[in-house]
This record gives sequence, structure tokens and C-alpha cells, in this order.
Amino acid sequence: MSTIAVNAITDASGGNTASINGATPTNDNTMGRNRIINGDMRIDQRNAGASVTINSNQYTLDRYQAIQTQTGKYSVQQSTTAPTGFTNSMLITSASAYSVLSTDEFYFRQSIEGYNVSDLAFGTASAKTVTLSFWVRSSLTGTFGGALKNNSANRAYPFTYAISAANTWEQKSITIAGDTTGTWNTGNGRGLQVIFGLGVGANFSGTAGAWVGANYSSATGATSVVGTNGATWYITGVQLEAGSATSFERRLYGQELQLCYRYYYKIFPQATNSSLSLTGWTNGTTTAVLTGQFPVTMRIAPTALEQSGTASNYRIAASSGAANCSSVPTFTSPTNEYTFAVAFTVSSGLVSGQGAHGRTGSTTGASGYLGWSAEL
Amino acid sequence: MIFKCLPAVDGEPQIYARIDDDGLCRLTCTEEHPPFQEWLAEGNTPEPADEV
Repeated sequence: MSTIAVNAITDASGGNTASINGATPTNDNTMGRNRIINGDMRIDQRNAGASVTINSNQYTLDRYQAIQTQTGKYSVQQSTTAPTGFTNSMLITSASAYSVLSTDEFYFRQSIEGYNVSDLAFGTASAKTVTLSFWVRSSLTGTFGGALKNNSANRAYPFTYAISAANTWEQKSITIAGDTTGTWNTGNGRGLQVIFGLGVGANFSGTAGAWVGANYSSATGATSVVGTNGATWYITGVQLEAGSATSFERRLYGQELQLCYRYYYKIFPQATNSSLSLTGWTNGTTTAVLTGQFPVTMRIAPTALEQSGTASNYRIAASSGAANCSSVPTFTSPTNEYTFAVAFTVSSGLVSGQGAHGRTGSTTGASGYLGWSAEL
Repeated sequence: MIFKCLPAVDGEPQIYARIDDDGLCRLTCTEEHPPFQEWLAEGNTPEPADEV
């Protein structure tokens, strides 16, 4: 065992291309290089592994939004089918043999916050080359498509990749020269969309391999997953990084969850009469205003509160007693990117001005949850 | 799916309830909520609040 104690390690010419075990460390390929959050599909706060039929443009696994122009054509589910080194993937299952119209779009995307891609310098002469890599598996074979796109949907780079063997994991890597024109957000708005097509009509498909001033979500001629009833399509290990492809960036589960919380936060005790970590006060005989703090600063102040839809999944405990709610919890102010407030309501019996605590229901609370979105 | 006004509270912003096709409310929001704005842009109007 020896120790190296030096002030700098350079390559033979004094430059910065020295390699260690075959890798050349740079600012771009060390920690933080993957701009995709939940690239290995481990986080599914909203559905906890349940299959969801896509009937609207809805978020599924954390940070991924399913897009559709016709309801019920495919479902999305977190899967435990994964290539070696991964534990999860996202499974898309086609619900029918749908013939995509020219105006149709079926795809899923991750919108990357501008802060997390600002260094790529898209829209300038210094735009960096990026590489999108991922593992994919499908019951179908052929040429599939996707695109990178800006927020205004007036700059897009359609790409293709081939799946050569059915029901077999294959790793794909697509290197894309950065876009030197167009407008690309660099703040807390949508900086860049990474899109995987599942069936995109001609109006939204373009020639692969070049930036274009158009709203394209896939490449012309790409295979339609929704075109085959029962077709399956899995993806995991999604990584977008500056420069050329490197191995998938592993993050601790807690780190990945914290990254997801900036865009969606769900309290889900999965038990009856369990704490929802809400404390507050009664402001009448039927209502309590309860507050809490988000675990990380949200991207923006949430504008909505999600809950189970069943009043008895929720309960107020106060000095005057405890009771299940008579209506579902509602969004209230002050809710901002740091803290939230929720109104809980019972039919009667509270005493104004008392301290109060929010819980899941005494007998039906296992399904009780509260969720806030600050998605892009 | 429709949106419905919740009873107004003095000094507080108007809150809307999304009523899903099965009749359940699983989301409440302010008028800034993007899906609510998209629903309005489609020409829809929220139902008035119930009498308190």
C-alpha cells in the first residue's frame, strides 16, 4: 500500500485528460451529472406500484408525465422487471390496437427544471453536447422515437433508437449536439423536455437527428406502442448528461426521494388513526386550520391539495375531543413553497381557539393521504 | 369532471373543488392551478358554491 501526496494530477502533456481506471474525471461526469430525476424508477409516491390507465395528461412515477390525446390507450406502472443493477423500471402497456391520427400524441416525458440544465448553455453558441442513455425492453421490435424539446415547443430534436430483440433489455445511447438557437429557460420553469414517443402522429413527428424549429415529440416513422394491443414497453436507467455517455449515476434512495419532493410531496401513513404531521388550531365549531412544513423547498408554491376523496379517511384531534372529518380536507392559505396549510372539517363539536392535530381516520384512515404538486 | 366553488371565506382566496366523474372530490385548488386554468380555457365555468 502506497500513498500519493501531490498537488495536481495531469496527463502526460500537462493537460486535463488523465484517466483513473479508464475514466477521465471532469466537471461534467462526476456526481450530479445526471439531469434526470428518478432515472431508475425507484420512486412512485402517487401510485406505489399500482397500474394507472392514462385518461389525462397525468403524472405517474415521480417526475414523469404521461401525455395522451385519446383516453384509455395505455397504462403506466412501476415494475420490478429490470436489467441487472436496477430494481425497477416503468412499464407501458398498450390497451388496444389504436391507429394513431396525424393529430395524436402519446408519449411520456420528464421536464427538467431550468436551473438543472442552465450550464448546458442551450440557445447560445456555447451549447454543450449532451448524451441521453437508457435501458429499454419491449414486446415489439423496430425503430422507436423520442425528442428533446424546449418549453415553448418551438425547438425540438427528434431521435430514434432500435430495439432488435423482443422482450430483451438493451441499453441505448444517443449523443446530441446542443441547440445553439431558440429560447431555453434557465430558472425554475421548464428548461428542457425529454420525451419518449409511444405513438406520435405525423403533425408532431420530424426527421431524426437535427434540431428544428417545430413542435415535434418523436421521429417520423417511429413504431407506435399503442398500435398493438397488449404491447409492453419498459424503460429504466434514464440519464441525460453533458458530453458523452458514462455509467448510470447512482444516488442513495433518500437523496433521490429528496430530489422528487421538490416537485411532489405526499404524506401517506398507510394506517388508521395515524399522524399526518399537521398541527394547528380550531377556528370555529367545525373547522381546524392545520399547518406543516415541506421537507425541501418546493419548485413553486403549490396551488392544489390532493387527498383520497373520502372524508372519513381524515380526523381531527383537539382538546374538545377527536372526530373523523365530515368533508374532505381542502387547500387553504398560507401555502407557499416552504409551508402548507390544510382545512379539516367535522360536523360539529369543536371549540374555537384550541390546539388541534390532523390524523388519518379512526377506522378508514389507511387510505388517507395528502399530496402537493409543484410539477413542471 | 367539473370544478365547483367552495364557500368563500373573508380575506382568503377562492378555493375550487374538482369533482371527478364518480362524484368524489380528490383535489381542491386556487384559481392559479394550471389544470384548472386549462379547464377554464376550454370554455368551462365552475359551478357555484353550495348554500351554507
